[in-house]
Amino acid sequence: MIGQPEDPADLELIKTDLKTFESKNQGITVKLDVIPSENVRTVLQTQLRSGEGPDVFGYDTGPGFAGALAKAGLVYDLTKAYDERKWPIYDFAKKRVTFDGKIVGVPSQIEEVGIFYNKTLFAKHGIAAPQNLAELTAAAEKLKQNNVIPIAVSDKEGWQGGHLLSMSLSSAVGSKGMDDLLNGRTSWNTQPVVDSLAIWKEWADKGLLTPSPTAVSYDNANALFYSGKAAMAPTGSWLALDIERNAKFEVGFVPFPAKDGPGIFSGGLGSGTFVSASTTKADASIKLLDYLLTPEHGRWAAEKLQDIPAYPIDTAGMTASPLFKQVLDDSAKIADGTGDFGYNIDVLTTDVFNNAMWKGIQGILSDQAQPAQVAAQLQSAYEKSAK
Amino acid sequence: MRAASNVPPVTRRAQARLGILLALPVAIVTAVFFVFPMLNALYYAVVDFDGLDPTPPFVGLDNFTEMFTDSATWHALGNNAIWIVIGTSAPMIIGLLTAVLIWSGRRGGPLYRLLFFLPFMLPGVAIGIVWGWMYDPVNGWVNRALGAVGLGGLSRGWLGDPDTAIFAVLATAIWATCGFVTMIILSALRNVDAELVDAARIDGANAAQRLWHILLPQIMPVFLMVLTLTLVGGFSVFDIIFIMTGGGPADATEVLGTYAYSSAFELNRISYGTVLALLITILAVPFTIMLNRLQRRLSLQGLGA
Repeated sequence: MIGQPEDPADLELIKTDLKTFESKNQGITVKLDVIPSENVRTVLQTQLRSGEGPDVFGYDTGPGFAGALAKAGLVYDLTKAYDERKWPIYDFAKKRVTFDGKIVGVPSQIEEVGIFYNKTLFAKHGIAAPQNLAELTAAAEKLKQNNVIPIAVSDKEGWQGGHLLSMSLSSAVGSKGMDDLLNGRTSWNTQPVVDSLAIWKEWADKGLLTPSPTAVSYDNANALFYSGKAAMAPTGSWLALDIERNAKFEVGFVPFPAKDGPGIFSGGLGSGTFVSASTTKADASIKLLDYLLTPEHGRWAAEKLQDIPAYPIDTAGMTASPLFKQVLDDSAKIADGTGDFGYNIDVLTTDVFNNAMWKGIQGILSDQAQPAQVAAQLQSAYEKSAK
Repeated sequence: MRAASNVPPVTRRAQARLGILLALPVAIVTAVFFVFPMLNALYYAVVDFDGLDPTPPFVGLDNFTEMFTDSATWHALGNNAIWIVIGTSAPMIIGLLTAVLIWSGRRGGPLYRLLFFLPFMLPGVAIGIVWGWMYDPVNGWVNRALGAVGLGGLSRGWLGDPDTAIFAVLATAIWATCGFVTMIILSALRNVDAELVDAARIDGANAAQRLWHILLPQIMPVFLMVLTLTLVGGFSVFDIIFIMTGGGPADATEVLGTYAYSSAFELNRISYGTVLALLITILAVPFTIMLNRLQRRLSLQGLGA
């Protein structure tokens, strides 16, 4: 079972891929169940609890998602399979699917969150890629003067707020600072968090974001970017394929800048593949995971779906746009630990924290809350989650 | 001493068996769709179920205590109250007036009926999505239309502004509901005694007086039935808000239905969500009973078309 991919073309590719798996594994038939992404959690939890769940399913890797299933004993322990089959998953990724010492999933989709920008539009208005926060603000102001929406921010759904904070905060406090916040060594109710939230409020007040961001959906904001009405799209590398398909101009991808430099990308894992604890077809399920972890499949997923696997793949000669090549190179640095990356907060925190973060940022963008107030709420949610 | 019955015991037993047989389907349906879910809900209300743990701990009335001390509940309830007052009165008034206009008009009745009823036949999800586009702050035609008539200063992100979001969603719901009210009242108006209306007109009653003193009393049971349905819909409203705003921005449009959903399925607090859902039921039932009793009394008094 998987959540509905955004682009129907991707679903067709996945179906073809599963046919390939079946042809290589005679006797195993894969029935693909696709449900709306927003229903995955509800449907999956109910099915798994009743013992009627899918054998293999795609799900988010964070503690509020796969972690909760693992805690309830609803996912298959793959530790032995990892040992026996020597699956080459990166260590950092393996940690994200390890709960109480058990590895319960196969992580995938290495992602980074930053700012896509319309290079053509920037060049037209004589703007260079911003190298620090002041330059980004100046660029946005110049774009606004030229009747271009500077930054296509959407927050109708709410989850985008987590990415906005991940970006500004990662660049403000660096990877270590993020690590300290996420592990409770630093309070969320501190000045860097307040400042990172305040940036978005300041830009909203100055009219540098999409008008009324909390009324704009993710798809509509992206459409503004594709159409050239907006110059920048702050989001994740998962959008690179859609940008390639829809944008008729050259696109660059930069990290959210820091006050004194270019800043760092927020990196992380998206979803993963898991096996139900109550499966009666564990061997066939593990064979499917085996197939998903072959170098050929990894390369196929990266090339066709721009889904960057959490294990090394040979990218030599791969057909990739310059944009995706950049994402691939960055991802390799996340994987081997040579780059400095921040964190995408919402995949590492609990539902309670995410709820406070998403609603808090909606509140800031709709003038219902102040940054300091939201920072305090985040700390309170963090403490509540830690209990 | 029991009164002797002329019915032979064999026949009585057969009648009893038949009675049971006839009542059985209703009893089964009631048990499956009402009694069992209600008992289930009561069970979940007194435990702390997270959607995963098969043996959730018993917490007694803690969920109820939390609900009554939770400011988010009261905020959601406030939005429900706005929804009930405006979302009930507006379609009832607009629907009644539209129905009377169509009923008294000489031409185009079927066409108007079709036009007014069409929105009600559309799925709520589709209505929510399309109106969401219309309210879009950048490309939506509501802002464009305001700009075109020189009222561009009023343009805003209708669904993203906490001062307008609930009313923007309400406007959509009213648009979708008016057709239903119009059609039902129009059906009732067909049975109105036209001679009474004519007599009132001859006696000099104006349109408002004829509506209030002649038409409304005759269609009152039907009017109350529609009122009950619309009112109860105000307590349990969920889909259109969920589609258009998800309860946001930052809870600005949260109602009990969306709050119950987010508690249960986004925060994994199934028990708390259940308690909120029970609150919706508890609040809606007295109104339903009261209006049904009023409707029945009026019918027994011989009022109504």
